[in-house]
Amino acid sequence: MIYNDRIAGILLIVLAVAYGWGASQFPEPFGGGSEAIGPETFPYMLATTLGLASLYLIIRPDPDNAWPWSRTGIELIVAILVLTLYAALLEPLGFILSTTLAVGTLCWRMGARPLKGFLTGAIAGIVVFVVFSYALDLALPLGLLSPLETN
Amino acid sequence: METLGFLMDGFAVALAPENLLFGLLGAILGTLIGALPGLGPANGVAILIPLAFSLGLAPETALIMLTAVYAGAMYGGRISSILLNIPGDEPAMMTCLDGYPMARNGKAAEALAISAIASFIGSLIATIGLILLAPVLADFALTFGPAEYFALFLLAFATLGGITGKNPIKTVVAACLGLMIATMGIDNTGVQRYTFGILELYEGVDFIIAIVGLFAISELLTFIENRAGKGHQTIKVNKLSLKWADIRGILPSSLRGGVLGFIAGVLPGAGASLGSFIGYTMEKKAVGSKGYFGSGDPRGVAAPEAGNNGASSGALVPMLTLGVPGSGTTAVLLALLISLNITPGPLMFTQNADIVWGVIAALLIGNFLLLLLNIPLVGIFVKLLSVPPMYLLPIVTMVAFVGIYSISNTTFDLYFMTAFGVAGYVLRKLEIPLVPIILGLLLGPEMEKNLRHALDISDGDWAILWNSGLAIGLWAFAAAGLILPYIVGPVLRRRMRAANPEAATGD
Repeated sequence: MIYNDRIAGILLIVLAVAYGWGASQFPEPFGGGSEAIGPETFPYMLATTLGLASLYLIIRPDPDNAWPWSRTGIELIVAILVLTLYAALLEPLGFILSTTLAVGTLCWRMGARPLKGFLTGAIAGIVVFVVFSYALDLALPLGLLSPLETN
Repeated sequence: METLGFLMDGFAVALAPENLLFGLLGAILGTLIGALPGLGPANGVAILIPLAFSLGLAPETALIMLTAVYAGAMYGGRISSILLNIPGDEPAMMTCLDGYPMARNGKAAEALAISAIASFIGSLIATIGLILLAPVLADFALTFGPAEYFALFLLAFATLGGITGKNPIKTVVAACLGLMIATMGIDNTGVQRYTFGILELYEGVDFIIAIVGLFAISELLTFIENRAGKGHQTIKVNKLSLKWADIRGILPSSLRGGVLGFIAGVLPGAGASLGSFIGYTMEKKAVGSKGYFGSGDPRGVAAPEAGNNGASSGALVPMLTLGVPGSGTTAVLLALLISLNITPGPLMFTQNADIVWGVIAALLIGNFLLLLLNIPLVGIFVKLLSVPPMYLLPIVTMVAFVGIYSISNTTFDLYFMTAFGVAGYVLRKLEIPLVPIILGLLLGPEMEKNLRHALDISDGDWAILWNSGLAIGLWAFAAAGLILPYIVGPVLRRRMRAANPEAATGD
């Protein structure tokens, strides 16, 4: 059965309608609507085009690519979580620590031995931090390691 | 010759010590990026853009560096085609045909050297073509009005998938998505559109974040899914023994390939894949029964490689003169131009002449540097092939994080980038191409502005969009770009695949 393109097509039509409805809610631009084309004209064109193209996807879908449901799917979710946590912890933990954790976990989950993975993360973090702070004069957050700061 | 004077000024820019240094750095980085597994040229240029920003480089220096990266990546990409039979990107597919058999016959070093020379010749021809053609095209483009520009942008989207593209409707979907994201933010009448009251969205979505997320982060996820973390075995390369006669033997092939590639690169919708494909098949015809194509003929390495590089330099012509890129990597270069506050298009040749000609001169110099780098250093680049992606991709991800963070110092952008990465992964699964999304993001504001101008001029009469002969021509071309893939595409794709059943294509 062919599901991917059909489901994508339905979701995209919903998006097109929502987007077009959003455009109809724009306030009148300042100075009245004397211009030939308002802020909503171009979005209307896009919503129409996307709607038609999505209809085509539903009517004539391509064969499916399989989704990774099993363990690989969990690995993907782990990777996305790691990236989100990396973004969240970058400032509180500091660049070096958060990079060690994030790069290390990713290397490990992609098949490296944990020790080697985390070591790669730590080295990469320190090297980039030093290059940025001293050679390029760009400040990256030190976070928990800030007591080590010399100046 | 006015052009020659400009070119001389360009050399003065490109030879300034700082520019030369960053050009060299870019060429080396580019070759690394091309050679490393899992880092295509567009991806590589994308993650370097934020860094070029945070370094605070002058516009011409940044552009010279990233153009050198672009040229270098094309050189580096051939290494895995020849040694592993894995094309780094689609245009490199044809190089596998004779390159890999040559390597198996114990002539890997010769194949690498020949492809480096052919790449050099192809790029050189195309750069000369660029110098001759670009000013003419830029002058011509000055006659374009807003209606013509609007049609031109449509043409760019319609032909982006190329005539070998799979499903043009998916290109349309992708383009719409990109243009929709581009409408977010405060428009030029002062109305807030799709900002949902979030302060960070008032200025719209920064396309650099979108590009890095869509390319780099989704690449990481794709690799995790394919469990392709282990590296390739190290490959031994024999000692190079290249005679002058060997080089002379491939010269005609390289010249033909370079010219064909350049033409394919300039034309919208043809692109580098078609450039190398035409280069190879024409060469096979030209040589006839004297050749032994498919089992390690050096001419079968030279022609597609020259075609591929010719096409990639040729692709700079529409990008520089019209502001309309024809490929993923030139789209990323366009992103750099826009974020440097340079309006791409014909006016760039008068308003930013130093930058344009500096870049063109840098391209010439870069080619010589790349040739010099590639022959002695090929051993090092070969070693890179065995770097396992399980270490490489996490580090690339980190570079993407650092780059984006250093632009604005906010974590909001990092979440945003991750979200784009996940979206990019899903879209790849659905085979919706990512490049039109990026092009939509980049061209969206200009496209709407031109539509507005056109309708202001005509007082709201939509017929102005197809009122001139030129505009009609552009519309017709755009329509052909969407319809032709249904007719010609399957045939061409089948032939390309039949020519090389073994090699798997990455994208």
